[in-house]
Amino acid sequence: MMKIAISSEPRLLNILRCVVKFRTQQAGFSNPECECLALAIDEAAANVIRHTYGCRHDALLALELHNLPDRVEFFLEDWGPKVCEDSIRPRPLDELRPGGLGTFFIYSFMDECSYDRDFKEGNRLKLVKYLSGKGARCNNEGSSEKSG
Amino acid sequence: MKVQVRNLDNISVLDCSGDVDLYSSPLLRDALMEEIKADGPSVLVNMSGVTYIDSSGIATLVEGLQLTRQTKTRFGLYGLRPNARSVLELARLHKVFTIFETEPEALEKIGSVKPFVGI
Repeated sequence: MMKIAISSEPRLLNILRCVVKFRTQQAGFSNPECECLALAIDEAAANVIRHTYGCRHDALLALELHNLPDRVEFFLEDWGPKVCEDSIRPRPLDELRPGGLGTFFIYSFMDECSYDRDFKEGNRLKLVKYLSGKGARCNNEGSSEKSG
Repeated sequence: MKVQVRNLDNISVLDCSGDVDLYSSPLLRDALMEEIKADGPSVLVNMSGVTYIDSSGIATLVEGLQLTRQTKTRFGLYGLRPNARSVLELARLHKVFTIFETEPEALEKIGSVKPFVGI
């Protein structure tokens, strides 16, 4: 298990991406998969900074990673207002507008995505990626596809 | 991330390098909007140095594209690395943007691209 906490400064998102790439490479994911997972975590953390913390840079967010035999589990914690899980859904891609793609990337690259309802203060987002490519995964060209 | 602007025969070229994320995308946005509003006929974004792009970077490119609808500016991207290309493809934006492989191709063909009129 590894846990890293950073202040909610966008310039520190690079640290989270590096940690995710490093740990997912260790877990046995391919390089394109590692890049996709780093992007998904980056998007989740960016959502916390922008929406939960309202772009405040003096708050805290923490990322916990568990490398398990068949999967990697990520827990992203913040101490902001509770988010309404139902309001976080990917938007239709047929609309051409600047925002709203982050959640789409998270859902595309992760196999499971849920909030811990028992987390007392703030939010604890659980994201899971299986090594077998149980759900969404990246192919060798780095694009996403669905598998069995 | 760095953005440098060149002007080649009335074509503005934005050379981007590094990671385009929530932290750095405002820099790209400022440069891109300035070039599009400058009323030149064509703007190209050189992505060959972009090592990472997230949804905020893509949102910046979409915003630029939408602005070109008002300014009638021709707009294109070139030099996308596989990871940036795959993110655009996943978001189904690779057919919305005009994308060239190389700078010579982009400079040669941007003049014949029709300005964006929306989808």
